[in-house]
Amino acid sequence: MTDETIITNSQAAEPANPVAAPVVLKGQERFVAPLDETPLQDVDSVDEAAPATSMWADAWRTLRRNPLFIVSAVLIVLIVFVALFPKVFTRQDPNFCDLNKSLSDAASGHPFGYDLQGCDVFARTVYGTRTSVSVGILTTLLVLVVGTLIGAFAGFFAGWIDAVLSRVTDIFMAIPLLLGAIVVLQMFRTSSSIWKIVLVLTLFGWTSTERIARGSVMESKNLEFNTASTALGSTPLRNLFRHIMPNSMASIIVVSTTSLGTYIVSEATLSFLGIGLPSTTVSWGGDIANAQTILRTNPMVLFYPSVALAITVLAFIMLGDAVKDALNPKSRTA
Amino acid sequence: MTTSSNAEAMAAMQRQQGPILEVKDLQVDFTTDSNRAVHAVRDSSFSVYPGQWVAIVGESGSGKSTSAMAVLGLLAGTGHVVGGSIKLEGEEISGFSRKQYEQLLGKKMGLVPQDPMSNLNPVWRIGTQVREALQANHMDISHEKRSALAKALAGTDVTVKTNDDETFLGSAQLQGLLDDARQALETAGVPAQRREELMTGFTQAWVPGSETRWRVADDLIKAGVDDDRAWAIAKSRVVGSTLNDRIAGLLSEAGLPEAATRARQFPHEFSGGMLQRALISIGLACRPDLLIADEPTSALDVTVQKRILDHLHTLTDSLGTAVLFITHDLGLAAERAQHIVVMYKGRVVESGPSLEVLQHPQHPYTKRLVAAAPSLASQRIISAKAHGEHGAELASLMEHQVKGEEVLDKGEHIITVEHLTREFKLPRRREMFKAVDDVSFSLKRGTTLAIVGESGSGKSTVANMVLRLLTPTSGTVTYEGEDIAGFSGKRMLDFRRHVQPVFQNPYGSLDPMYTIYRSIEEPLRIHHVGDAKSRERRVAELLDMVKMPRSVMQRYPNELSGGQRQRIAIARAMALNPDVIVCDEAVSALDVLVQDQVLRLLNDLQAERGLSYLFITHDLAVVRQIADEVVVMQHGRLVEHATTDEVFDHPKMEYTRDLLEAIPGGHLSLGLD
Amino acid sequence: MGKYLLRRILQMIPVVLGTTLLVYALVFALPGDPVRAMFGDKPVNEAVAAQIRAEYNLDKPFFIQYLLFLRNALTLNFGDTFAGQPVISEIARAFPVTIKLALMAFVFEALFGVVFGIISGLKKGKWYDSVILIVSLLLISVPTFVTGFVMQYFIGVKWRLLPVTAGSNPGFLDLLMPAMVLGSVSMAYIIRLTRSEVSSNIAEDYVRTARAKGMSNRSVLMRHILRNSLIPVVTYLGQDLGMLMSGAMISETIFNIHGVGFLTYQSILKGESNLVVSVVTLLTLIFVVTNLIVDMLYALLDPRIRYA
Repeated sequence: MTDETIITNSQAAEPANPVAAPVVLKGQERFVAPLDETPLQDVDSVDEAAPATSMWADAWRTLRRNPLFIVSAVLIVLIVFVALFPKVFTRQDPNFCDLNKSLSDAASGHPFGYDLQGCDVFARTVYGTRTSVSVGILTTLLVLVVGTLIGAFAGFFAGWIDAVLSRVTDIFMAIPLLLGAIVVLQMFRTSSSIWKIVLVLTLFGWTSTERIARGSVMESKNLEFNTASTALGSTPLRNLFRHIMPNSMASIIVVSTTSLGTYIVSEATLSFLGIGLPSTTVSWGGDIANAQTILRTNPMVLFYPSVALAITVLAFIMLGDAVKDALNPKSRTA
Repeated sequence: MTTSSNAEAMAAMQRQQGPILEVKDLQVDFTTDSNRAVHAVRDSSFSVYPGQWVAIVGESGSGKSTSAMAVLGLLAGTGHVVGGSIKLEGEEISGFSRKQYEQLLGKKMGLVPQDPMSNLNPVWRIGTQVREALQANHMDISHEKRSALAKALAGTDVTVKTNDDETFLGSAQLQGLLDDARQALETAGVPAQRREELMTGFTQAWVPGSETRWRVADDLIKAGVDDDRAWAIAKSRVVGSTLNDRIAGLLSEAGLPEAATRARQFPHEFSGGMLQRALISIGLACRPDLLIADEPTSALDVTVQKRILDHLHTLTDSLGTAVLFITHDLGLAAERAQHIVVMYKGRVVESGPSLEVLQHPQHPYTKRLVAAAPSLASQRIISAKAHGEHGAELASLMEHQVKGEEVLDKGEHIITVEHLTREFKLPRRREMFKAVDDVSFSLKRGTTLAIVGESGSGKSTVANMVLRLLTPTSGTVTYEGEDIAGFSGKRMLDFRRHVQPVFQNPYGSLDPMYTIYRSIEEPLRIHHVGDAKSRERRVAELLDMVKMPRSVMQRYPNELSGGQRQRIAIARAMALNPDVIVCDEAVSALDVLVQDQVLRLLNDLQAERGLSYLFITHDLAVVRQIADEVVVMQHGRLVEHATTDEVFDHPKMEYTRDLLEAIPGGHLSLGLD
Repeated sequence: MGKYLLRRILQMIPVVLGTTLLVYALVFALPGDPVRAMFGDKPVNEAVAAQIRAEYNLDKPFFIQYLLFLRNALTLNFGDTFAGQPVISEIARAFPVTIKLALMAFVFEALFGVVFGIISGLKKGKWYDSVILIVSLLLISVPTFVTGFVMQYFIGVKWRLLPVTAGSNPGFLDLLMPAMVLGSVSMAYIIRLTRSEVSSNIAEDYVRTARAKGMSNRSVLMRHILRNSLIPVVTYLGQDLGMLMSGAMISETIFNIHGVGFLTYQSILKGESNLVVSVVTLLTLIFVVTNLIVDMLYALLDPRIRYA
């Protein structure tokens, strides 16, 4: 580069020749440390005693020591167990309601009392778990697949494929999740399957995963080990599946875990607005909506499903934080 | 005034003033996540006298940078001083609070950090970041501040030196000053041609914000203007600079051209060398008595490194600044510093006057360093030749058995590159950028050809075209007489099998998700060689070959050091028994000792298997140890192509000479121990 | 800068077209029948249905429908509601309230989010860092409508500090609680973002260089740590401004505020597809435009992309 030219100032003195006159000053006499103080080791020897660790093993070790992870993992195990086996916790049918018992206090076997329709609040809270957890997990998985695939292709092929896919992502990103979901859902008011919620949330939720996947594929694509593999005779597609994707998974998993909680909140919000799941499906959001009319007189009816919802979301968000800490490339030694 | 009398005067001053920095039995610990203390520095002592360059030499992790940061009170993260003392001008500072350190930093101690790219804030203009240093210490921007030492030394030159004489020249007065100077020269009767020369010299030398009154007067007097007139001009025209003048002056002192314009740019518009110059001007902005330079040029090309260090040297000499110079390169340390401190595993293992340490290393670690340093090794070859040593003795110095001329002449060409050209499209530019421009050479079987050049010379682009990772814009690469552009399918796979790469970055070239076993096995899998059992045997064999224990098979790259990873990369490249290995800066990122070890491994493999190497490097010193032939590249063009001896002994081109000149330690007279 | 702006505006055009097309398609072309939806649970009167179809061009091919809609939208003609009111006047009535609410929420989240984030990031590991972190985690986990009810119950009903609901022409105090509810989740995210930015910037090399210059702790903090941390925070805030407009739906429903969210929600319940499409289109436009402004702001804050 031409701009590396030097400006020579005439004021500059001649550089003193450092080796011309070795004048030894006090404290700078010749010193040689005794050998036994720092015994010489082999150059670059391998520490064979150290335990073998992969990135995942490393992450797991970090996770195990993180109290955030332990708390969230215990909670999630419990929540998933409730979702899978609600009958273990209550024998009451959540949809069996007796108007005579409307707003009755807690009784034996019905610890949370009854709501306005006379349904057992405890049973409804227990059965609501299944809805929330399945919407959260299914949406996350679906988003993971759709977002990762589109993002990986955009990042890997770059050029016009990337340009088109990125604009499509922009378009979906411009529609807020809740608004988009509401517009679509009002068309399918009658369907009672949780799949409609899962599909709608996926439709407007895949974009953030796409962005992350695209970015991290683009980043790992330029790493030297891909060039090395190509020079070994590997094909681009083989590189994508054998090297690039595995190396991009960490950041994708982090964003997925964190958004799981968001999907649960979204489902609850849609049900709360009355356009999510129909009243026949037990959902915390729907129960909270029903309880709002009696908020001033019987706040506890609203309290139980709210707390259940908050704890579930909190558990998944804490898990996401813990996973992020464990997989953070910055915290790992290169 | 002779150099030796200057040195004596200096030594006398130093003796009188005592050390500016005295570190005794320093202990620095870092605390790990599990609350365990890691001793980064143990019982280390060293001292720096005013005006002196002291070098701390050591490999990465030796504690050299940590010691320097402890002195500055800028230890990162959990690091803290747990024992010993740090005295600055006789005052104990190791227990100072952050507030107390604020008073010292900038004014008393300055820092030139290691990585120029990350040490300037990307959101502020360069000039702003220089200004911060001046303002933080309330620097008088219109007067130079010189250390007592510099004043005393300069005192023998010029007698009067009050603060007024240190007034800076301002940019507003520059034109008037030049006019007056011209007039004065005319009056003094200086002949026209000489006058023009002098004026050109003045225009260059009188930098606003840097040049002071007495220097202007001095320049005029030396040019033949009488004393009174010269001082009158200087007093009327040199009346102080503005803040912007001073910033530009500081930047141009550090060797940045067009400093006033450059000061308004952002860090991302600068090259690495320019950023380093900006950092030097920041470090010296408040005229500290002690400058700590932490590997200030490690990331730069050798010629840039030499220029920057030369500049830093003249600057600190004229200001009387003491420098604590941290480096991993023993040759560089010996060339720049009077006193060397060698650190190893957190301890000082040896220290003393540079030449003495270099010529008579006592500690086994220092001996090892001296033996491995490529710059010194090449130096040793030269002196051995000068002493008339030949044959076996010479060969033992050169790790590499250089082939004789006749071998090279007869050698069969395995790879031939003809008129290779590669153009790239620059963003938002119409014209194409020629990264490689009409390069031809050939690699002979069983020999090593080095391509040497600085960053941007196109050397790696050539390597990528030889590997067919890039297609040439024009020109051909032939492998065993066949144009590789025509290869496809099975023939292509066959070519990949025979020509293998080893890349620069030991942290990037192995997939972090793969075990070492899978990494080495990958080429065997791709080429469908053998079954699982035989592949495992082969991997074990390859690990033996690169002298790695078989137990690393189930390890991951992040557990290995840079040198170990590079050996794994070599094992992977060797898996398919290739003919040619293209080493793209394969040892550049490694510490000297590890570098030496990898070079030896490459040499051994070549001797055993008759491999041919295409060795891409920016380091001419390494070339001498490994290559038979050298191709020198600059700006995409081939500058010189000859045998290694020819290039080192009789370089033909100016650029090659510059490169040779820039090898650190090249001027040291090394006795053969 | 001018070129950059122009390029971003050009990039915006396909996004706006695509988004409106998508919204239009979702409402009018999905298997569900919007006209049928208008009748709700009542039996469908085929004659009326046909009339409605003709009025909204629903009998024409889909793409023609879309183009007609686009042409009308350009002249702010969004058609009429069932009640015969022009859609645009309904929107004009609702927007000012929502803008007020969104701006209040924005100030709330920006102020408290950044301040707490900085405190937390600078003093990582201190007890108040933990408190701030836990509170922000809770705010993220608890859905807005629950936060809304809790605040409504305690602040409005029990302690009577602020009005419980806002009504049709709300003032500053009426909107205070809804704004806090609306901004709470974003505030929590801003706290977390600011915290991680500040704590990672502290460890940057240029911060050490700044200290080595002898700069005071305060200047290093302001000029190097905070200045750089603000880049992503400002980006987030800008994007959130667009999101707040659409996110206002929950807050407006709970506190009975007659803003855009309330209007949209009511129209969805009534099956006013025309109004829904119009509002969603407008909100999306606002979102896209705020994003453009954010990009410009980003270019101003980060010189590395200024002329890119």
